[in-house]
Amino acid sequence: MIGIQRKIWTLTAFVMFIMILIWVMLTYYNQKTQDQYNEILQRYLHMNEVTSVSRQTVNSLNIYLLTPTEGNLSSLRRSEDQLREAQRSVGLLRNEENDFALTSYMNLIDSLLEATDRSIMFESEMELEDSKRAFAEATRMSSYLSEMTLKLIDIELNTYEQFYRSIIEQSEELKKLGIWILLAITFGLLLFTYWFSLGITRPVQQLTKAAQELAKGKFERQIVVHSADEISFLATTFEHMRVNINNLILEMREKARLQSELQRSQLLLQESQLRSLQSQINPHFLFNILDTLSKKAFLEGAEETSDLLVSVAGMLRYNLKRLDRAVTLYDEVRVMRQYMEIQSARFTDRLRLVTNIEESALSVQVPGLTLQPIVENAVTHAIEPSESGGTITVTIADVGDRVTVEIADEGPGMSEEKMRAILEEHDMEPEGHSTGIGFGNVVRRLRLFYGMTDIIEIRSGEEGGLSVLLKLPKTRRSENDDKAADRG
Amino acid sequence: MHKTISLALGSICAIFLFFTMISAIRFVQSAWQPPEMENQAADRYRLVLITQDLGTPFWNKVGEGAEEEASRLDANLEVWGTYGEDRENFLKQLEIAIDSRVDGIIVQGMNEERFNNLTKIKASFHGIPVITVASDVPMSDSMRRTYVGSDPLAAGRMIGERLLADLGDTGIVVLMGNEREEYDQRRRIEGIRSVLKDYSGIRIEYVTSSAEEERVAASTRDVMNRFPDVNAFISVDANLTAAMIQEIGRRSQVEPYLIYSFDDNPDILPLLRRGKLDGVVEQSPYQMGELGVRMIMQWLDGENVPLDAEGYPTDIRMLEAEDME
Repeated sequence: MIGIQRKIWTLTAFVMFIMILIWVMLTYYNQKTQDQYNEILQRYLHMNEVTSVSRQTVNSLNIYLLTPTEGNLSSLRRSEDQLREAQRSVGLLRNEENDFALTSYMNLIDSLLEATDRSIMFESEMELEDSKRAFAEATRMSSYLSEMTLKLIDIELNTYEQFYRSIIEQSEELKKLGIWILLAITFGLLLFTYWFSLGITRPVQQLTKAAQELAKGKFERQIVVHSADEISFLATTFEHMRVNINNLILEMREKARLQSELQRSQLLLQESQLRSLQSQINPHFLFNILDTLSKKAFLEGAEETSDLLVSVAGMLRYNLKRLDRAVTLYDEVRVMRQYMEIQSARFTDRLRLVTNIEESALSVQVPGLTLQPIVENAVTHAIEPSESGGTITVTIADVGDRVTVEIADEGPGMSEEKMRAILEEHDMEPEGHSTGIGFGNVVRRLRLFYGMTDIIEIRSGEEGGLSVLLKLPKTRRSENDDKAADRG
Repeated sequence: MHKTISLALGSICAIFLFFTMISAIRFVQSAWQPPEMENQAADRYRLVLITQDLGTPFWNKVGEGAEEEASRLDANLEVWGTYGEDRENFLKQLEIAIDSRVDGIIVQGMNEERFNNLTKIKASFHGIPVITVASDVPMSDSMRRTYVGSDPLAAGRMIGERLLADLGDTGIVVLMGNEREEYDQRRRIEGIRSVLKDYSGIRIEYVTSSAEEERVAASTRDVMNRFPDVNAFISVDANLTAAMIQEIGRRSQVEPYLIYSFDDNPDILPLLRRGKLDGVVEQSPYQMGELGVRMIMQWLDGENVPLDAEGYPTDIRMLEAEDME
């Protein structure tokens, strides 16, 4: 993580580095130029020194010639030494251009010294004329020296002209360079600072935007901040907070939903309890009435009606209790007989029931109200429309591991579509059954009960007659269904 | 938005950096190294050519020839001198040359005591060889090693013969000379006279003047007053010629007169071109410079010791107005 502080430090260090670089450059260049100027000045000074020292020598010689004392002589000697020294330092200034002039110059100094010595010598030998002539010569040479100095300086100027010009030019260039560097650095820094500040402010802006979104209540959008500094840390923390709040809100909503559902189901529960109470009341009331009717009919001597009422009440009780409960085939047959008794009361001799039952097969378990709806169907379709009535044959046989139950009638049969619809468990409009339980319902319950599909076969004869064959296994594949049925 | 600002700043920065680079390169390139220092004096002969008439075409030629020869022989030659016959300064230069112990001096001769003192006593004392060039000074006076230049006697003779050819054997001839009477002037007159002396019909009038223009004019006037029927003028000193011709032109036509001179003055050739002069002795200044340096180098190298005291004459030829075209 690059901290903001470190970024600022980097910027400052960068600026410092550039400043130091420029400072070093300028200092170096200034030093170099100054050295060059010094060197040039030194040259002029050395040359000028020769002139002044040579004059001084001549002057000392003059003083000595006027008053020849030891003191004056030694001061003259000192001047001569100085002149030699100056000559030596001028000798170092030789270059290709001034070679000739410089050699002449040095020789001229030698000649001056010689003339001086000659003058002193003649003086000591008291040859005053020669001494004076030598002095005059020395004086002339001294003035020649001054001229020669000027000439040398002139040569010097010519030789170094290019060099001086280059120094001037270079300082001009330096000025321009300075301006360019200043401009370049200014804009470079502006750019750098812009990026740098953007690096700090952009994450802050992103964060601000995210905070505004949160303030508006939009907790879904993810907070993304592209940064590698403290802001990113802040953003991550903020993001955690957002996620947490979002989760809490979702949880709260879930809870509220559950609560409302609970309330609704409680209401439903109460309603259903009420209904069940109501429904419990009705049958008992009905049974009591039927019982009373039966007793009344018995007392009035209508025994047949009384029996009929008992059958109706028994069937009704069976219907109400045994629906979706496993019963034995025996019970089913009994209920079927009761139903046929009631129907016999209606159709009298038009309805004929032929039963062919193996008693040993009757212990097999079947779902409640299996046979009755099929028989009822046969009655409705085969007996009711026919004036002469018909025969319904119920055959129950034990065939190995299965028990077959066949209900056959002599009615008009069943259409192909209807048969398929029944076998494929399509919904159908019930057709006014007393129990309200249709053929399709039976098929469905049988399949569910045994957990297999080839339970039922329907055969329709070509010249009429419908035969329904149930193949009931002796052992149920799924025992659970019993318990499930118990619960209902 | 950000991108635009970044791009703008970046491009401006890049432009300035580019100019900074250019400026920096120019700054580095503008540095010029000072000339190399030398610790030892060059091991070459130092020669000096000294003249009084620096800057005239004649002496430029001499200097040119000398310098070219010097560079060919690897000698270090400098041309010193004065402008317009400044004798004091000329002598001073000569003395400086001697005092600064040059290895050889090639000098325009000057027949004067002080000149002779310098060459004879001082230069000989220091063992510096002196060669006179273009104008000679007798060896006995100057102790010069040799003379390089036109032979003035021969030049005089050449003019004399020319005069005879143009004038015939009768007439009045005025010789105009410098009153300083330099050695070579005397030799030139000697040459002229040696030709003309056999012709009694020719009268020679020798007039001298100083170099100032008024004086020359006055002398010319004077001689023309005295000899109105003068036929020819010979200006023995080229420096006087221009003033003389101007004065003649002021009094009458110049054409009738035969006027001759020497070429060692810058005014001579234009005058010849304009037809004012009838004949000029042309010398070989380039050859003089060349030969002078060669001779002194031979002496210094010990190849030709002693040099011929009579001197080494350079070529002369008669130049007429027609030659100029």
